[in-house]
Amino acid sequence: MQNAKDTFYTMLQGRLAALNPARTIVLRGLERPGTLVEENELPTAQVPVDAFRLQWTALQVTSASPLRWVAMECSIEYATDGSPGNGGMDRGRLLAAMDAELAAALGAEPHAVAKMNYANAGSGSSVTAMGTNIFWADPVFAAAAAAGERLQRTATVRVFAYQEAGEL
Amino acid sequence: MSQTNNQVCAARAADVLLRALGGCSVRLRMLAPAVPADPTEQLGLATPEFQDLALAPVVCRKARAAVNGNQLSTDQAARWDLLVSATAVEKLVGSLAYASASVLFANACGVLTGEGAELLEILSATQEPLLGRPYVYRLLVRAPLAQAV
Repeated sequence: MQNAKDTFYTMLQGRLAALNPARTIVLRGLERPGTLVEENELPTAQVPVDAFRLQWTALQVTSASPLRWVAMECSIEYATDGSPGNGGMDRGRLLAAMDAELAAALGAEPHAVAKMNYANAGSGSSVTAMGTNIFWADPVFAAAAAAGERLQRTATVRVFAYQEAGEL
Repeated sequence: MSQTNNQVCAARAADVLLRALGGCSVRLRMLAPAVPADPTEQLGLATPEFQDLALAPVVCRKARAAVNGNQLSTDQAARWDLLVSATAVEKLVGSLAYASASVLFANACGVLTGEGAELLEILSATQEPLLGRPYVYRLLVRAPLAQAV
């Protein structure tokens, strides 16, 4: 399951960065594409705006087939305060731009990529491709919510993968 | 912003008082900068590095139990007030190139009061200013929930 989560995040980050390379965040002094997985970062009360935050929520495992079929739900939250130079009055346009980027990234073909194993990525070994793919459905966008000057939305996407032998 | 004589005097007087009251040294645990082009930190595979920075003089006192209405807070973890020298904080802010002390404390992982001590979580950081310039900072810190009884 972890490999499927890592593969989906890497795929989505790459596609979003290709669509809008200017969408970046600074995290611990390092500028990087504006996509992150909350469970992989230090807990903080600060919510990064103008960035996509992934949370893995629901999980369903079906063991009817020889390879177990895993369905996971990824909740993608994003928010914007608008541009300070415009007094925040463009926050609707900025949220719409993020809606469009996310819809384009998840709607682009193919809707499947090869599942990758990142377990040894930090020890100098390369990332290895596994034997199956991950797939995902179209995202479902919830209604936008306003909190003060902040506009935020949550999109939910279901991600599917086969659990290969020996895989955690 | 240049400091007026009154502001300098207030900061020095606060430092003297903190030392006279048994001021000790604590360490602020900060995250080291992320490693460029290393995807393992983004995937939760690699643990980031930490660095401990000394802050002194500091006076530590037990904070009052938090009261919510007529009931004590359900969070029974011990809390302390740390009164921290503004001079020491300003040196740290300057050397680490943070925009302000509030950014420094917001980025800190916690406070260590001694060797082998548990990491105290910073709940809030406030300042006592004179003419807009702080002369002492007050950190409200909490012990880890695992230590609560």
